[in-house]
This record gives sequence, structure tokens and C-alpha cells, in this order.
Amino acid sequence: MFAFMETPPILPLQASEFARQYDLLFWYTMAVTMTGGAVVYALLIYCCFRFAKRSEADRPMRILGSTKLELIWTVIPLFFFLSFFVWGVRVWDYAINPPKEASDREYFAVGKQWMWKVQDPEGLRHINELTVKVDTPMKMTGTSEDVIHDFGIPAFRSKFDVVPGRYTAAWYIPRFTDKAKGGIETHHLFCDQYCGQGHSQMVGKVHVLSAENYENWQAGIFRSTDKKKPVDGSPAWQGRILFHKLQCNGCHFNQQVGDPSPKAPSLEMIAGTVREMADGKRFTADDQYIYNAIRNPSMHIRTGWQAIMPAFHIGLATENDLYNLTQYIKSLRNGDLPYRTDKSPAPIGGAPKSSQGTAPAPATKEGGK
Amino acid sequence: MTATETQTETIRVATTTPGPLDYTPQMVPPPEPTDAEDATRKNYLNYDYSLFGWLFTLDHKRIALMYLAAVSVFFLFGAIAAGLIRTNLITPTGAILELDQYNKAFTAHGTIMLFLFLIPVIPGVLGNFLIPLMVGAKDMAFPKLNLASFYVWFFGALFFVYQLLVGGLDTGWTLYPPYSSKYSHTNVLYAGLGIFITGFSSILTAINIIATVHKMRCPGMTWGRLPLFVWAMYATSIIQLLGTPVLAVTVVMLAIERLFGVGIFDPSIGGDPLLFQHMFWFYSHPAVYIMILPGMGVINEVLTCFSRKNIFGYKAVAWSSVGIALVGFLVWGHHMFLAGQGYYLSMVFALLTMLVAVPSAIKVFNWTATLYGGVITFSAPMIFALGFILLFTVGGLTGLFLGTLGSDIHLHDTYFVIAHFHYTMVGGMMFAWQAGLHFWWPKITGRLYSDFWSRLAAIVMLVGFALTFLPQFVVGYLGMPRRYPNYPPEFQIYNVLSTAAAYVQGLGYAMPIFYLTASLFFGKKAGNNPYRATGLEWQTNSPPEPHNFPETPTVYFQPYEYGVKDGLSVVEKLNSGTKSDGAQTKTVGATSDH
Repeated sequence: MFAFMETPPILPLQASEFARQYDLLFWYTMAVTMTGGAVVYALLIYCCFRFAKRSEADRPMRILGSTKLELIWTVIPLFFFLSFFVWGVRVWDYAINPPKEASDREYFAVGKQWMWKVQDPEGLRHINELTVKVDTPMKMTGTSEDVIHDFGIPAFRSKFDVVPGRYTAAWYIPRFTDKAKGGIETHHLFCDQYCGQGHSQMVGKVHVLSAENYENWQAGIFRSTDKKKPVDGSPAWQGRILFHKLQCNGCHFNQQVGDPSPKAPSLEMIAGTVREMADGKRFTADDQYIYNAIRNPSMHIRTGWQAIMPAFHIGLATENDLYNLTQYIKSLRNGDLPYRTDKSPAPIGGAPKSSQGTAPAPATKEGGK
Repeated sequence: MTATETQTETIRVATTTPGPLDYTPQMVPPPEPTDAEDATRKNYLNYDYSLFGWLFTLDHKRIALMYLAAVSVFFLFGAIAAGLIRTNLITPTGAILELDQYNKAFTAHGTIMLFLFLIPVIPGVLGNFLIPLMVGAKDMAFPKLNLASFYVWFFGALFFVYQLLVGGLDTGWTLYPPYSSKYSHTNVLYAGLGIFITGFSSILTAINIIATVHKMRCPGMTWGRLPLFVWAMYATSIIQLLGTPVLAVTVVMLAIERLFGVGIFDPSIGGDPLLFQHMFWFYSHPAVYIMILPGMGVINEVLTCFSRKNIFGYKAVAWSSVGIALVGFLVWGHHMFLAGQGYYLSMVFALLTMLVAVPSAIKVFNWTATLYGGVITFSAPMIFALGFILLFTVGGLTGLFLGTLGSDIHLHDTYFVIAHFHYTMVGGMMFAWQAGLHFWWPKITGRLYSDFWSRLAAIVMLVGFALTFLPQFVVGYLGMPRRYPNYPPEFQIYNVLSTAAAYVQGLGYAMPIFYLTASLFFGKKAGNNPYRATGLEWQTNSPPEPHNFPETPTVYFQPYEYGVKDGLSVVEKLNSGTKSDGAQTKTVGATSDH
């Protein structure tokens, strides 16, 4: 019925070398603070029971203080606080100073409202996806096109603000956890710094691949683990991935129970139909029309809709991307449009299906129906 | 405890009172008025019923009640926003709000709770009401300025209300540019104006409190005899006086950039977004001490009274307040470890953050030691005060994770941070406020509230609060970012637990509205000093007369002398000229010794 009927996670995965180092510090701090807290709680509870008023004849002691005790509980906490500081600096030092082999393998991330554009060292560019090779040091440099974002990967315990006008960086050595299967493991990528309306939509996936899988993926011939389903490389199939990646389904979505009303028209069955514009003009929905509607949405505002769609200029969607998207939109039949909450399908494997087939369905809605 | 000074004095029983006092008030308490006297007695509530008499009153106690009415309404607004946020988070895709609405809800929650509730509540209500009473003065040093600061604050607050009515604000309370200066389409300027104007009120109140503490203390009220609540308010005022102007300047710069496109913070027109963060946190980090220090002051008063004990280490507690106020100004950069500030800068801020944690730890240990050897009763104010210590301990200790350079990396901007500061701000400040309100309610209104319902409310709030934010530590460590209306479904269980407990907590906050209101009409008369407390404010009538004391009080004793038996006879001896304690009487009669 609810997603949490599945066993919820209790601890985050340790999917990088840094995560292991980080967790040592975290659990040291936790052990010390829990002990300190337990001491305070124990003393409080002891006093509350031992010195609770029992009769009118009870008289309190008159204790004004004790310099010795004050010194003790100044110096002991200070000692532990400074130990946090020293260890914290060591971990921090490790986190922000990449070794040379990591710097030689530099990824580049650009945050913009509300997506991540990631470029890997080979020059391949991905949106909301970061695909990395396991056990290989890598550096991630980032900046922003507009407001401040934050590139955070909880499984790597890594996070850094991407700030317009400056470069910030982190580095990782990705590791497989014991939950990894088939040489691939996928983690969350979050924007952690509030950046406006779509802040919580500015999420993506980090795929850690085994060396062999990574090579295959790079070569574009990756086959899914069962080796039977080849990747469909058709323009519409790639367009469908792009449709998710560009979060077109944030507005153009297949409405379910509980969804807000769509902010944008459905795109199903539009190919070849006549579209009426707010200014009275009429257009036939052909390739050129769809192309314009993505590249420069304010050219054509449909009757009854607001001009809220961002322009997908050349920096966001290449000509190739746009062509693929157009082919996908033209292929949409009734019910094919993804749900609002559908996330990007994996970059690898899987035959083209309708959106319900491969995209992870929103669990809460699924069981409720 | 071999090192502690234990001392008991047994002196003959006083004859002028119905029975022996088992504590030593700071001054000679006046006789309890008879019912007939009480019926005709003029107090600050009944001496003038006209609207003019309330709206243009210069009486600090009436101004305090105006603050009480206003902050209660704003708290309700903030609580409604919190309810919307938590309800929306029941499902991973947002149960009731759209993205924009959620962003506006959490911004409204943050700005209202901070600027219109947490910052003014204890200084405005309890500070105003109690500081003149506690130092033995007739009023604040500048009564007209006091009234002005209320109206300035209220005028500023109206801008917050206005911006809510015309569409709200979606920047978060932190107002980070360039989002706030360029990209947000919401009412940044109105909210900025609200912050700017309410800031002036903070400054005026701070000046007033500092002047009152310096110049208005009654004979015998030396610095070493000030109640610790006054010390805490004094430290708070220093922060407000020094920090608030910086926030005002920052908001003006933000407005200039937004209105005229002058490149101050936006890098695309030549500014630097980190400049804003430095200036903003230069005020806003000390501001968390503006919020928590008055609460710590309240806890000192309540704990000592209900455990019948002297405060453990008066000087340590007093100076730790001042220490927090000063060192608190030097740690703002720990909000910016991941924002791209310099390596060594971050190290210095992290080190100072560890140092500022020490005075808070000292206070917690002192409070615990205060309970040792006491005679403890568990009335509602005491339950709230114990709740404060329990929750503030968690809040303070989890702050260490965030102040440590290494461990902040993963936890920054996650729900761990949310849980941490709610444990300090709500678990700390809100519980201190409830403790203070319940403690001084009989003094403010002259009536006693229901013992049963108030204790029940305290326990409901405590349990509801703790369970609301405990799951958020877990989900924060798992990596759930803050300010997310939609989240991965595996985090749902923690959010559902948190929301369920939040409803319980909300129930707890609603309860005092009923039993406190009922106490005004049906409550028993409180008498002058229902808790047998030592402070000057209890040694006058309830509710106090318009000018607080029938005649100028003279102070003979330390606050919190709950341990001396037959205390009043000591006072009598002093009055008759028999100085029993040379050290204590040396400074009797001094009005100011700074």
C-alpha cells in the first residue's frame, strides 16, 4: 500500500572511499555525543527521582557552586570538541584536496534551474545522470548558470555548492557496496541548496559501473544484464529518455489521482493535428512546429495555457537531441505520456516500452488504486 | 560533593508572617492583601480600561501584553504553515501542495517564526514584563521608546502579513541571492522591508534593556545579585544592538540590487553571492543566540524555584551568557563551509564553533547540578524546563556534527540540520517560552491555571516534539535534502512518522489556549507568591500595581536563596540594623556599581 512497506533504509550506502572515512568520523562523534548526552540524561533522571519532594519537612541543601566541578565540565567537553575539530579538519582536508589521478579525470557539472548538466572526461554530456567507473578516482568540478545549487551525492557523503561565477569541486573514488549487482549500482543525486520552484525536481542518478560495463557503456553497445535485450537506439527511444531527462514530464504529464492540474498541454496524439494559438493563429503540428515549440516556446502560446515553458536553447538541447525529442513526441499515442513523477529510465538496457513499463512508477499512487 | 560549600543557617522564626519562610526573598515581602483590599486595589490591568489607555500605555507590563497578543497570533500563522509543510510531506510526491505553494509555505514558516515569534517573544513579553520588576524599577529606562519599539515592530510585521496576502515569498528565510535578487518572482521587497523595520525595533528594545539594567537597579541590586534572566537578556541585547544593523544594511543592499540592478551579489552583473552570505550570517548566526539566550535565562529562574536550590555556579552561568554573546559573533562562517569560502577561513570558523559550544555545555551541567540536593516538585513550568534541558542537550550535541568541518559535508542542507535547529529553537526556545509563560502567568494575571491540564500539555508537547524531529535525524543522515516537497519514496516512512508526531505536538500547543484562557475567568486567585520564589517580581502584588512596587525596594540577598531556612528573620535582622553577613551587606544601598 505504501512504499515504506518495503524495508526502509536505515543507514546510507557507503559507495565511495570518502564515505568510509566520513562514517568513521561521524560514528566517533556520535559515540562521544551519545555518551555525553547519556551522562546528562542519567544525572537529570537520578536527581529528579532522588530529590523529588516527598514531605513538607524536606529541606534542600544549600550549594552555591564548585570551581573544581566547573573546571572539570569545561575542560572535558572542550577536549572532545577539539578532538572533533582536529579529526574534522583531517577529513575535510582529504575531501577537498584531490590527488593527481583524480584531477586528471575531471567531470564537469553545470547546475541550472532545475537540472544538472554533467560532462564526463570523454566529452559525453548527460542531464541529471552521472556515470562513473568503480574504484577509479575522479574529480567533479561544478558551476551554475543561474542561482546557487548544491551537487550532493549522499552515498558518496559528498556535497558542494555550485555557485554562479566560480568553480567549486569535490572528488570521489566510487566503490561498490555489497548490494551492487551485475556490475552496476545506482545512487541518488540531489540538489541540496534551495534554488526555486523545481528544487526537488533537480535530482538525478549516479551510476557506478564496473570497468567492463563502463567500457561497454562508453562504446554505446551496452547490453542489459540478461544479454538478451539490446538497446533500441532509435531516435524516438532516445527522445523518450531525453523527455525524462529534460523533465518535460514535470509539466507535460499523464495526470493521475492526486496530481495537480497540468501546467501544460498533453502531447499525446498531436502529430498532424491543427493547433489553435492564443493570438488566433492556427498551425499544423509537424516537425517544424514541435521544434519551434521547444526551442522558443513563446513563439506559439496555445489557447488556454500560460507562457511558462522555458526556452530550450542550444545549450540545453542540441540539434540532435531536439530531433530525437520531436520523433518521440510524434510517436505518443493515448496513455503513452509519462507520469509527472516518472524519473529518467536507466541509461542502459531495456527495450522501448510505454512509460508505465520501464519507468519506476510512483509507489504511493500505485498501491492506492 | 566535597568541594561544594554547604551551609545552613538556623535563625529564630519570624513573628510577622503566618509561618516561617523556608526561603530568603531578595527583599522584605509586603503583607498579602486581604480580599477586601484586593477588591479595591488598583493594579496595572484595572486602573484604566480605556482603549487609549492600552494602545498608548507607557506601562511596560501593558506593552508586554500587547506583544503577547501579537506574537501569539503570528505563532498561529507560523504553526499553520508548519502544518501544511508536514501534511504535504506525507507522500513522496506532495500530498496537498504544489511546488510553489510548498516553497511559500516553508518560507512563511521560517520568516514568521523567526522574525515575528522567536526573536521578539521572550524579550518582548517576558523581558518587558519582568526586567523592571526584577531590578526593582518602576518601569523601563525609556518608557516611550518601549512603546515605540512595539509599534515599530508591529508596523514591520504588517509587511510580512501583507506580502503573504499578496502572494507570499518563495526564497526561504535565508534570502540567498542571486535567487532572491533576480530570479524569484515573489514579494522579496515587502519581506525585506519587514525585516528592515522589525530590526529597528530589536535595536530600540536592546538599548532600553541595556539602559534599564545599568541605571534603574534599585538599592542593593548589585550586578552579582541580578537574576540570571536579567543577565541573559542583557547579553541578548548586546547581540541585538551590534548585529541587527548589519542585517538591515544587507537587506538594503539586496533591495538596491533587485530594484536597480546594481551588481552587489549577482555575479552576472559583477557581484559576489558569498558577500551576502557573510553579511547575512554575521547577523543570523548571533540571532540564534538572540533566540536561545533569553530562554536559558528563563530556565535558571524556573529550575531554582522548583528545586528549591541556589543556582549552581551563579558566576559561571552569568558569564557563559556573555561569553556566548561575544564568541557567537565570530562563528558565522560555519554556515558556509560548502559555499566555496577559503580553506583556512573555514578552519578558523570551525575552531571557534567548537569553543562557542563550551559555554552551552557549562550551562547544561550547571542546571543538572542545580537539581542535586533539591526538593523538586513537578509543576508545569518545571516539566517545561526539564523538557528544555532534555531537548536542548540533543540540539546542542547534534550541532557538533554540523560545526565539525568533515562531518558537515554530508549533513549540510539535509534534514539533519532541520532536526538540529528545531531541537534548539523549538525544543529549547519554545519550551523555555512555555516554561516562562506558565511560571509567570500567576504574576501577570493574578490567576492560577489548571495544574492537571498544564502538566498534560507539557508532556504532550514534549513527546510530540521529540518524535517529530527524531526521524528527521535519520532521514537527514540518509541524505534527504531540506526544502524538498517531493522526495524519493524510500524516505516516506520517516516523513509519515514525523508528520504524525507533529499533529500530536500541534495538539499540545493548542491546549494552553484553552486552560490559560479559562484561568482568567475561573482560575483561583494566585496570591503574591504562589511558588514561594525569591525574586523581586514575586515580592509585590499579583497583578502588580501600575508602578510595580508600593515603595522602592531594597535588596539584601542573592537571588535563588532557597536553601536558607527561616529566611525572613534574616531580612528582619538586617532591617533592624544587625548585619549578620558583612560580605552581603557591604554594597547595600548602591544603585550602580559598574
